[in-house]
Amino acid sequence: MIHDSIIRDRLVTGDKTAADVTRDIARPILNKPSTAWKVGFSLSLVFLGIFVTSLFYTLWTGIGVWNINKSVMWGWDITNFVFWVGIGHAGTLISAVLLLFRQKWRMSINRSAEAMTIFAVICAAMFPVFHMGRVWVGYWALPLPNGFGSLWVNFQSPLLWDVFAISTYFSVSLLFWYIGMIPDIATIRDKVKGKTEKAVYSFFSMGWTGSTRTWARYELISLILAGLSTPLVLSVHTIVSTDFATSVIPGWHTTIFPPYFVAGAIFSGFGMVATLLIVARKVMNYENYITIGHLDAMTKIIMVTGSIVGIAYLTEFFIAWYSGVEYEQYAFINRATGPYWWAYWSMMSCNLIAPQVFWFKWARTTPWFIFIMSIVVNVGMWFERFVIIVTSLHRDYLPSSWVMYAGSLTEIGLFLGTFGIFFTCFFLFAKFLPVINMSEVKSILRNRE
Amino acid sequence: MGILDKNLSIRNRNKMLIGVWEDEDSLMAAASDLVHDGVKIHDIYTPYPVHGLDRIIGVRRSKLARIAFFCAITGFTLVTTMIWYMYVIDWPLNIGNKPVRFAPSWAPVMFEGTVLCTAFGMGFFFFWRNRLVHGIKNELLDPRQTDDYLIIAVETGEGVDNNAVLSTMKKHSPVELREFHHGVQTTI
Repeated sequence: MIHDSIIRDRLVTGDKTAADVTRDIARPILNKPSTAWKVGFSLSLVFLGIFVTSLFYTLWTGIGVWNINKSVMWGWDITNFVFWVGIGHAGTLISAVLLLFRQKWRMSINRSAEAMTIFAVICAAMFPVFHMGRVWVGYWALPLPNGFGSLWVNFQSPLLWDVFAISTYFSVSLLFWYIGMIPDIATIRDKVKGKTEKAVYSFFSMGWTGSTRTWARYELISLILAGLSTPLVLSVHTIVSTDFATSVIPGWHTTIFPPYFVAGAIFSGFGMVATLLIVARKVMNYENYITIGHLDAMTKIIMVTGSIVGIAYLTEFFIAWYSGVEYEQYAFINRATGPYWWAYWSMMSCNLIAPQVFWFKWARTTPWFIFIMSIVVNVGMWFERFVIIVTSLHRDYLPSSWVMYAGSLTEIGLFLGTFGIFFTCFFLFAKFLPVINMSEVKSILRNRE
Repeated sequence: MGILDKNLSIRNRNKMLIGVWEDEDSLMAAASDLVHDGVKIHDIYTPYPVHGLDRIIGVRRSKLARIAFFCAITGFTLVTTMIWYMYVIDWPLNIGNKPVRFAPSWAPVMFEGTVLCTAFGMGFFFFWRNRLVHGIKNELLDPRQTDDYLIIAVETGEGVDNNAVLSTMKKHSPVELREFHHGVQTTI
């Protein structure tokens, strides 16, 4: 039996009606851009310019402008790749897993989380593609006929698995995002006044009418896509972890990597979702839709996944000692006390210690504090990837290959520049598409059980 | 039966009675009563999914899950055949003497290919069956049906008592009742 819940708090506050939801959420799309949007978008374009400049310099001069060397052959570049891919993995996971678990609070955050996935995977893809050096033959990574004079691709290589995993993940996430957005695009189509705008939204809404027959199939396809996306997300970050775990490098060669990477991805992804949504709810006046209850739920997940990641760090240390392999033991002691100790302790502080503050209700319900913590989480997760990659590589089996590594200005520029790509895409998304899933939010206005 | 659901279009409908609501409970009660009275509801249009409405108007369970399974089998077969041809038949690579036939290292690519085919195959059938096509003409009864209006469209004609339909609808306090005649709507 369906009835209004007297126990659970309302997911949408302010006694909103369906018409209010459309009006509030479509406001940024139907009105001229606000000053905050213009400032944010301009700043993003500046960072995008940094990316373009750094990339042009890399392509023009050659990959030697990066400080990577023969020991540390994966430096900032692959660190940034794993960082962005981790953020990208959380979006679809949030949407898919929470849908499967029937968590209705996901409805206010899933759209932005899915958008974040798409944009973060675009940022991530930049790094391995340009790390190839000769980017114009990048298509050799695809299983194409070997008439180019090369062999077929190597199906035993995790790097090839990555090509399949990330391209599949990107395509399926895009489909999931787009299908979920069609009803809302139709709502915008029926609200906009301009002829061109109407034509564009009509094109993308594909004649959606809101028929009961279509809704029934829409709900089914969303459920099946969520069921497909969940193992897909797990597989993708598992495969990213095998880029490291299938090697013989001390510090990488561990079976804990797949679950530890997946937990880290959810952790950093929720961190980025919190960063984006705390700003969006304030600037776009969405406080009734993204409530303190949503922030509370997200911070609990950040705390749990941060603790899982923390346990993984400690387990790695224990297993290195317990294995009796001196190379492993050295790799981990070197991480904590060697020349990159500052990176290791930054990672531990940001990822394991800092999120424990969310045991306190005040910390979980104070937006400005959560915003700061969400940035701390992302800084920590960048350092995690830096620690894994650089500290493991800078000490080879041969002491004659031992080197130090620091990113060059170009590498730093490329990393900062990807924030330009990410936020430019996000600002455009916030201007032209509904940031909150209107149709789903309308279905939970009555707080039914 | 073709894949395209022809019931979705209102282009060929000559006469319909239309009831408009803003409240989903009243709409569901009206739909239940109409079906109970033996009235054939053409469709109900809502701006958000209203659970249970499909069962009330007798929408059959979608076959999308079966299509997903078929697409998954197709994707799995295609990808496995591709790897088998490239890696076993055409140019076997000896890497560290690891086996090339059905090695566990095939699993990730097989899985990803299966998921890709399933998702896009199912997406394609979803769009086709639901008449969702880029550039198609919008067939709306009211521009607010994607905003806050919930609309019941009842097909009328021989054997349908219009007054009985209207009085059932009126019982559940609609916002508006309309008559649809060859694409033109008039308020009753």
